Amino acid sequence: MSVFYQKFERHSHGEGLKGQSTHYCAGCGHGLAHKYLADAIEELGVQDNTVLVSPVGCSVFAYYYFDTGNTQAAHGRAAAVALGHKMANPEAIVISYQGDGDLASIGLAETVAAAQLGAPITVIFINNAIYGMTGGQMAPTSLMGQSTATSPSGRNRFNGEPMKMAELIASLDGPVYVERVALFTPAGRKKAARAIKKAVRIQKEGRGYAFVEVLAECPTHLKMTPDKAEEWVKEHMLPIFPLGVKKDVEVEPWFKLPAPSFEAETFTRTVEASTQAQARFCKGFPAHLNPHDISMKLAGAGGDGAQTAAMLVAVAAINEGFDGTHIPSYGPESRGGTSYADVHVARDEVLNPASPTPDILIAFNAPSLAKFGLTVKKGGFIIYDSSVARDVKPGDPSITVVGVPFTEIAAGLGKLVVKNIVALGALQAATNLFPTETFIAAIREALKEKAKLIPLNEQAFQAGMDAAKEFLAAKQK
Amino acid sequence: MPSVEEKPKPFLVPEYCKGCGRCVNVCTKGCIAFADEINPLTGIVPIVLDLEKCTGCGLCIDACPEPYGLRAMEQGETYELQDPARLFGVRPDAAPAPVDIPARKVPLPKTQPLIIKGNYAAAVGALLAGCRHFYGYPITPSTEGAELMAKLLPKLNGVFLQAVSEVATVNHMYGTGGAGIGSLTFTSGPGFSLMLEGISYMVGSEVPGVFVNVMRGGPGLGNIAPEQSDVKLACRGLGHGHSHCITLMPSTPQEMLDYAILAFELSFKYRNPVVLLADGYLGQMTGKVQLPDYMVKPGIPGWAVYGDQGHRGNLISSIHLQETDLEKFNAHLEAKYQSMKVEARAESYLTEDAEVLLVACNTPARAAKGAVKSLRDQGIQAGLFRPITMWPFPVRQLEALLPRIRRIVVVEANAGGQIMDELRLNMSQAGVEKLPPLTYVRRFGGMLPQQTEIVDHVNSILGK
Ligand code: SF4
Ligand code: SF4
Ligand code: SF4
Repeated sequence: MSVFYQKFERHSHGEGLKGQSTHYCAGCGHGLAHKYLADAIEELGVQDNTVLVSPVGCSVFAYYYFDTGNTQAAHGRAAAVALGHKMANPEAIVISYQGDGDLASIGLAETVAAAQLGAPITVIFINNAIYGMTGGQMAPTSLMGQSTATSPSGRNRFNGEPMKMAELIASLDGPVYVERVALFTPAGRKKAARAIKKAVRIQKEGRGYAFVEVLAECPTHLKMTPDKAEEWVKEHMLPIFPLGVKKDVEVEPWFKLPAPSFEAETFTRTVEASTQAQARFCKGFPAHLNPHDISMKLAGAGGDGAQTAAMLVAVAAINEGFDGTHIPSYGPESRGGTSYADVHVARDEVLNPASPTPDILIAFNAPSLAKFGLTVKKGGFIIYDSSVARDVKPGDPSITVVGVPFTEIAAGLGKLVVKNIVALGALQAATNLFPTETFIAAIREALKEKAKLIPLNEQAFQAGMDAAKEFLAAKQK
Repeated sequence: MPSVEEKPKPFLVPEYCKGCGRCVNVCTKGCIAFADEINPLTGIVPIVLDLEKCTGCGLCIDACPEPYGLRAMEQGETYELQDPARLFGVRPDAAPAPVDIPARKVPLPKTQPLIIKGNYAAAVGALLAGCRHFYGYPITPSTEGAELMAKLLPKLNGVFLQAVSEVATVNHMYGTGGAGIGSLTFTSGPGFSLMLEGISYMVGSEVPGVFVNVMRGGPGLGNIAPEQSDVKLACRGLGHGHSHCITLMPSTPQEMLDYAILAFELSFKYRNPVVLLADGYLGQMTGKVQLPDYMVKPGIPGWAVYGDQGHRGNLISSIHLQETDLEKFNAHLEAKYQSMKVEARAESYLTEDAEVLLVACNTPARAAKGAVKSLRDQGIQAGLFRPITMWPFPVRQLEALLPRIRRIVVVEANAGGQIMDELRLNMSQAGVEKLPPLTYVRRFGGMLPQQTEIVDHVNSILGK
């Protein structure tokens, strides 16, 4: 009895008799289920750890009575809320107490998902075949032919058959214990009390999810005296909702969550934050390309590696102490197998990370050249794959155009995927954006998990550089 | 062997009897019958006990639904209504006073900046803020945040739970937050809509939690490209009732991290959810992100329903049945919202001598910053005012700039001008009625306002 508050302060501020009596109607099954639950909590010695989740329905005020931690949930969400509590404190004994509208109608998805998840929570389901709180409307568990406020001439085919929750829950893999009990005989009440206690004990032992469906009386909305309501449950509900254990599997205690880690070293390792300073090779900001903020676009087809190359440039910039950004193209232009990346390298801060008018365009195919060639700023650079596009003319004579056969070179090295690294080599030679060492360091860093690919990538970079130098030398002649 | 006489017989304070009769039928000894008259205190006909033949079988006690109805008789009990504390003895195990376990800071070594995308940065920020619980339902363009949490949380002994829906997500957060533990979700417009009921419950129960909404194009399914069309929801539509949350609008990956940390701090400071509004473009943008020199190790607040002895007496609930109680609670909420106004933050860029003021948030603010730069190169005194909190709106910060401003241009990525609405409404509520002429640059449907469009617009309104 100690698990009930001495005085129900939350029931109308505990005034008068309300301090000691429930808000339930005379003969309501909720009171009995409360008592058995309170006994179970007491006998198992879990009062301090218990968190009771009250639903929406007649038992919305369960928190008036139980001297435990209490949370009141939105309609149908008690099981989801219970899981939130259990994950926050795996030691807590979390009990989701719900009626039929809450559990079997509006909260069906949460009910089934929590059951299938199987984490140890205890669900007490009060099935009285009617909506109590809202005034006697049809419940998901109302019987065929049962007349209610919203099925005045009896539940019929158009309303569907009543939900048999214990059977449904027992059919899932998650739960370890499912039983349906009733309250209308002394023997049945003893069983109900035992089932509720077992469902709490299974949680206490970390064995899993337990569900007890209690066939209960709602004399008020059945419009019957309490003893007639007991008879009604026996005569009409029992054939549809047969009592008994629906599932009871032996499971070793399994539920344990380790205490969350707040250890500095574990954290920095987990987020891969390095405490080692990056080597720097730049003498200063490459202001010859733009005094403050160099904007670039890398454009190709998916698989050309434009995004990876773009990332490498941004990483190289940041390693050198500048600001760098990379943004994969977004919106309609990113559809249809194309892959565009905008990159910025700024002395202090990248203002606008988009590159509508880039200083440098790296084009991996002809459509990209066609689309972006004319957006390149005066005095800028176009570096393109001359294996797939030829005789590219700049939109403005001040633009330097460099053709390097990315694809052919990469094929020659035996790995087509390195053509983006060939392109980076060409970028270095054509623009002198960063020293070679900066790029090489960024490539090594990116490949540190696949170290055996480093020589090939360095070769590709060198080949791109050589080809660009050759192209520029030939053009000068 | 105990004799039957030793078993306790039932006892009833008649005032606690509801007269349901459940006990009457179970007594085979005929000890229980309804009284002859109504009890004047309850207006109910209670039962009366005649225990001469009683065997103490206890069946009647098991059948009584009332906690303080039929009980086993103890020595010296009488039938008079009296204080149960005296009647049943003072309980030795009444809940102790709630315990407040404070959060503390764990120093971190100096590290090189991370180079990560905005969505990742917000996730790492949450981890730094001490968040070890993530709930979410995958939705583009926010999924990378969830994916990173799924990868990292197990390494930090945290909990990653993919919920059955956004409705379940927000209710997992309600449970975890109610336990006094911070949790995070990533979502986008349609998912955010589904969470609103739960956010209203969190506000009404004063439960913390952080929602990162990486906004995409709407309404309906819309598309997955960036928009800023949930400003209205975050500032004016957080479910039913008088609900508001601090709403932060970062514009760089660094800010995604910084404001995720701030969001957790504010969420606990005010016992209220916090919304971080990003856009799809910012979520995808990679940049330099410096970690702070500390990480938060959260405590357990005194008000939490943690599930331990120190917090047993607590209740998380948004119910205030009596009108006067709910009125009082809403007044408390309103006072809390007012007190949040000190959290209003904004960045002003080149505003000291500005005459044309661009107002923008998130990624459009970066295009606007670029536009300020190129307008200045043309000799136009442009500046940028970037609200970092959209709710509370940085009214005072904007007001301070107004005397010199001749034009305000709101740059945003939604069709109706949700940021402009916030600006007008907040300034008007604060009594600032006179604003310079407002015009706007808007793109939407997944298109973002571009730097060149902003520059052209400013030139056109200046007649250049
Ligand atoms: S309406 Fe029905 S379920 Fe609700 S308290 Fe009354 S009897 Fe119980
Ligand atoms: S304890 Fe048994 S015998 Fe005594 S009044 Fe109750 S039901 Fe009857
Ligand atoms: S069961 Fe309890 S409430 Fe019902 S009549 Fe008997 S004593 Fe009264």
